Amino acid sequence: MSVTPDTGATPVTLNKPELPPQFRVSARRQKRLPNWGLKAVMAITGVIGALFLAMHLFGNLKVYTGAEHFNKYAYWLRHVGEPLLPANAVVWVLRVVLAGCIVLHIVSAAILWVRGRKARGKFSAKRRGGLRSFEATLMPLTGICIALFVVFHIADLTLGVQPLASETFQEPTDTAAFAYQNLIASFSRPWSAAIYIVMMVLLSIHVSHGLYTVVSDLGALGKRLRAVLITIGGATAVFILLGNASIPIAVLIGVLS
Amino acid sequence: MTFTPPLSAAPGVTLGSVLDAKIPTGDPETAWLRRRQEYRVINPANRKKFTVAVVGTGLAGCGAAAALAELGFEVHAFCYQDSPRRAHSIAAQGGINAARARKVDNDSLYRFVVDTVKGGDFRGREAEAYRLGQESLRVIDHLNAVGAPFAREYGGALATRSFGGVQVSRTYYTRGQTGQQLQLSAYQQLMRQVQIGTIKLHPRTEMLDLIMEDGAARGVIVRDLSTGKIHAQPADAVILATGGYGTVYYLSTLAIGCNASAAWRAHRHGAYLGYPSLVQFHPTCLPVMTPWQSKTILMSESLRNDGRMWVPLTAGDERAPGNIPESERDYYLERKYPAYGNLSPRDISSRAGKEQIDSGHGVGPMHNATYLDLTDAIKRLGADVVWERYSNLIEMYRMAVGEDPMRTPIRIAPNTHYTMGGLWVDYNLMSNIPGLFVGGEANFSYHGANRLGANSLLSASVDGWFVLPYAVMDYLAPKLGQARPALDSPAVTQAHSRVLERTERLLSVHGTRTPTEFHKQLGSYLWEGCGLNRSDKSLKKAIAQIRTLRAEFWQDVLVTGKGVGINQTLEKAGRVADFMELAELMCIDALDRSESCGAHFRLEHQEAGEAVRDDDQWMFASAWATDAPLDFASNPELKFTRHAEPLEYSNVHVARRNYQ
Amino acid sequence: MKLTLQIWRQAGDTDSGHYETFEVDQLDAGMSILEMLDRLNEQLLHEGKEAIAYDSECRESICGTCGINVNGRPHGPQPHVTSCMQRLRSFHDGATVRIEPLRAGAFPVKKDLVTDRGGLDRIIAAGGTVSLMAGTAPDSDAISVGHDQVERALDFAACIGCGACVSACPNGAAVLFTGAKITHLTMLPIPAIERNERATYMVAAMEDEFGPCSLYGECVLVCPQNVPLSAIGSLNKERLRSLFHPRI
Repeated sequence: MSVTPDTGATPVTLNKPELPPQFRVSARRQKRLPNWGLKAVMAITGVIGALFLAMHLFGNLKVYTGAEHFNKYAYWLRHVGEPLLPANAVVWVLRVVLAGCIVLHIVSAAILWVRGRKARGKFSAKRRGGLRSFEATLMPLTGICIALFVVFHIADLTLGVQPLASETFQEPTDTAAFAYQNLIASFSRPWSAAIYIVMMVLLSIHVSHGLYTVVSDLGALGKRLRAVLITIGGATAVFILLGNASIPIAVLIGVLS
Repeated sequence: MTFTPPLSAAPGVTLGSVLDAKIPTGDPETAWLRRRQEYRVINPANRKKFTVAVVGTGLAGCGAAAALAELGFEVHAFCYQDSPRRAHSIAAQGGINAARARKVDNDSLYRFVVDTVKGGDFRGREAEAYRLGQESLRVIDHLNAVGAPFAREYGGALATRSFGGVQVSRTYYTRGQTGQQLQLSAYQQLMRQVQIGTIKLHPRTEMLDLIMEDGAARGVIVRDLSTGKIHAQPADAVILATGGYGTVYYLSTLAIGCNASAAWRAHRHGAYLGYPSLVQFHPTCLPVMTPWQSKTILMSESLRNDGRMWVPLTAGDERAPGNIPESERDYYLERKYPAYGNLSPRDISSRAGKEQIDSGHGVGPMHNATYLDLTDAIKRLGADVVWERYSNLIEMYRMAVGEDPMRTPIRIAPNTHYTMGGLWVDYNLMSNIPGLFVGGEANFSYHGANRLGANSLLSASVDGWFVLPYAVMDYLAPKLGQARPALDSPAVTQAHSRVLERTERLLSVHGTRTPTEFHKQLGSYLWEGCGLNRSDKSLKKAIAQIRTLRAEFWQDVLVTGKGVGINQTLEKAGRVADFMELAELMCIDALDRSESCGAHFRLEHQEAGEAVRDDDQWMFASAWATDAPLDFASNPELKFTRHAEPLEYSNVHVARRNYQ
Repeated sequence: MKLTLQIWRQAGDTDSGHYETFEVDQLDAGMSILEMLDRLNEQLLHEGKEAIAYDSECRESICGTCGINVNGRPHGPQPHVTSCMQRLRSFHDGATVRIEPLRAGAFPVKKDLVTDRGGLDRIIAAGGTVSLMAGTAPDSDAISVGHDQVERALDFAACIGCGACVSACPNGAAVLFTGAKITHLTMLPIPAIERNERATYMVAAMEDEFGPCSLYGECVLVCPQNVPLSAIGSLNKERLRSLFHPRI
């Protein structure tokens, strides 16, 4: 007979995890980085990134005001604050902050992604076309593409690393910048323009879902506030897409040269 | 005044003693206050030395466990579900009554007591109805404070609604899910004590026997349903809050797992069972639609406010409802009870519906329902208004049946809902076994022969939060220093081996009929013999059928699998085995009580369809004892003794219920 | 009506498990999925086999006990409906239906379709409670609460704790469940007193066993009680708020 005789009265408490008694007296600490904290880090760094993108877009659009003005703007960026600040100071501060944000954003995302896979369990996930499910699924993918694109973008238009940059790439000098010429040269290559256009699509998807998530991650609740914030997020993404992607297109069809 | 209980009409019943319910003498209105002053208390430092086992985690069980743990007692809480939150208190819809009497509709404690006692057809205790009303205030306040979002008026005060059989508005509610919100609030308070460590929680654990030592309840034997292991839990007192046993009819509004096992095992140890045959049938349940239907879903009675009940005039009419002209419809409630019409009380409506179905006028594919028609209301009020009032019910019906109540009439049928009967307890909620307390629907208190709507959540909450903590502490007070039974004491080992033997027996029959088949058969016997209408003939027939079926069960039950790990067939078989014995006692009680009262309708005792009480002979509570060897692995012959607890009413005038 | 069922069988918590195929005939479109399993189980018993273990209690979509994945979707094909109320009329005759336990890392399978959802109880125990002893509550009418406030609280309190949200989530997160409880209690005056502690402890308990939220939004699509997605924002808000509450 397969019945196990057992008179041992072992009280079964909730089996796992053992929480200390009187938890309200000794505040309970989490041993690892909390998910909500990582999410908040991603939200804040993401917002900084999005703000940067919006500013970057504003600067980019100056390309339509002509070579001289655009180059002047590029030159000003490196010399803003002089003589109080040394040359390139503001640019470097921005670079450090942005690089820090990107690292924090990526590390947090990776940790959360691994934890999510673990928590999913042994059955594979099958999606059912959720509210934002498609965009949410794309986030890691678009994120990786954006990271690679940033490398390309810097090599192409900041550092002028061959063969990514155009053959005519010119370093800025102490008195002038050649951002306009570099940009035209780079976008005149159809493959390069294509990369920029495709990446702007991916970037705007990432930003739109990211900003949508931020609203929830940072706990905005009221219906109107949520609607306003989500609209602003969406609009930002659309502007980034239309504004930035228009430039390579304009170069290709000859509006800018 | 001497009380002589009448002879029993049921064969083989022995007349027992006259019971003392230990109700404080004198004015019932002050009885509870006086009793609480008499109760002994225990020094807070000593309370942790006592262990209390609480079986069941519904409103009564969660409340008692949490309240006792808050006081400092060590509590072991058991539930057969995977989480204590799932107990069937969660399914109550309508609301919870309270005698707060704030409005100027002239409600009062007295009116509450009159309604409760009268609703129970003068078969419940007057003093307990007072306690129910008095403690109802603290129940509302407590549950409100711990998270039940009671509906509010726009001005911010608690909202009330009126409920069947009452002329004032005293029912507090949270939409149509009051039970859920109260149950979850109570569950949360239980979990708070689990977290603190004062309650040891044992989910997926079923009580299968009582540990008795020196004539007192001293713990429980339980089976861990995950592992199949049988454990003993010695305790200083045991509280059963195991709910009702309506599932004995197979189809009921109860949960699939609801069972009588814990209560029945306690009964077999000598705890009396009060009014076992008193079962409330709800008139507006969804009918059985397929032979495989496992339960019936309740549709709120509020539909009867606007719906008209009818059946075709000719029996066996197969036409679609829309094709039956007005002249060929029988609005049977309006015809038979012109004064109350479609709003006749639950028992009247249930019986009238069953009468139509039995006479061949039933509708639907299985001819087992009557129509509840909203079309007149839609014509009169407009579709929007009807939708606004009943949208959740209409949605539920659409989901369950696949028809649209806005176009075709709803099909409804009466079904088993609530058991007024249960383990007999005295005024302190202790059964005749010292140390065995019973709370909630599992006991027979408060409701007499018929429960008033929205009083069930109240009685469970009052028992759990505001009666048992006092009464249990009083019982334990003189027992400081008394040792609990050791694990190797005969009381524990005998109970343990009884449970083991039964499990082995069930697994070794290897018969041909599944537990569910036996359960269905039992249910149909009981429904026919001891259902809405009972008669001498039907009951005697049912008793014979049940005895035969029980003998067959132990010869022919089919349980596959093993005793280790999860084996739901084995669980079911054990529960059905207990139902088999309980069903016989239910029929015996119904046969014994030669009168009609409340939900107990004997065809021999009626006056044009109205129940006729016999207060001269039967104004007492029946408390049954079953004499049979304590052997849970066979089919012993059951012998029954009826004890009687006379009922007295000093403040409420005894009168006949009148529906005209 | 006839269906081919691929059902997850797993003898115990340590067994690796597999799918087993059954043919069930003479089904009625009005039967629920669970009644179909009942019928299959009767068939299995008569063949001398073990019945398929699965959980169910009230069978009227309020207790939250039932929960199986049907064709990869928690509870079944109809949205916002518990397994016990899912009718066979959602399937066409002769269809193949895959039935699995509620799948999530935090819900280990105990047997066949039975899972251990104790993690949800542990979240509630950690702080989904009110530190108030029986009998000590103030008069309910002493603190007025607006009509809309309690109705809104009830939208969140309606959660039945079935775990479908966790199973639907590609990250196995229980944020909708936890957020529903946190929001419900925050919206009521007396429970709101402990909102900071509650958010801290409940979120800690949640993160011990469940995954992070990526706002996929799958949870709200299957939730039988239509708990709004704002429960998630509310949880984040309460957790962040508890960081900043003044410590004197």
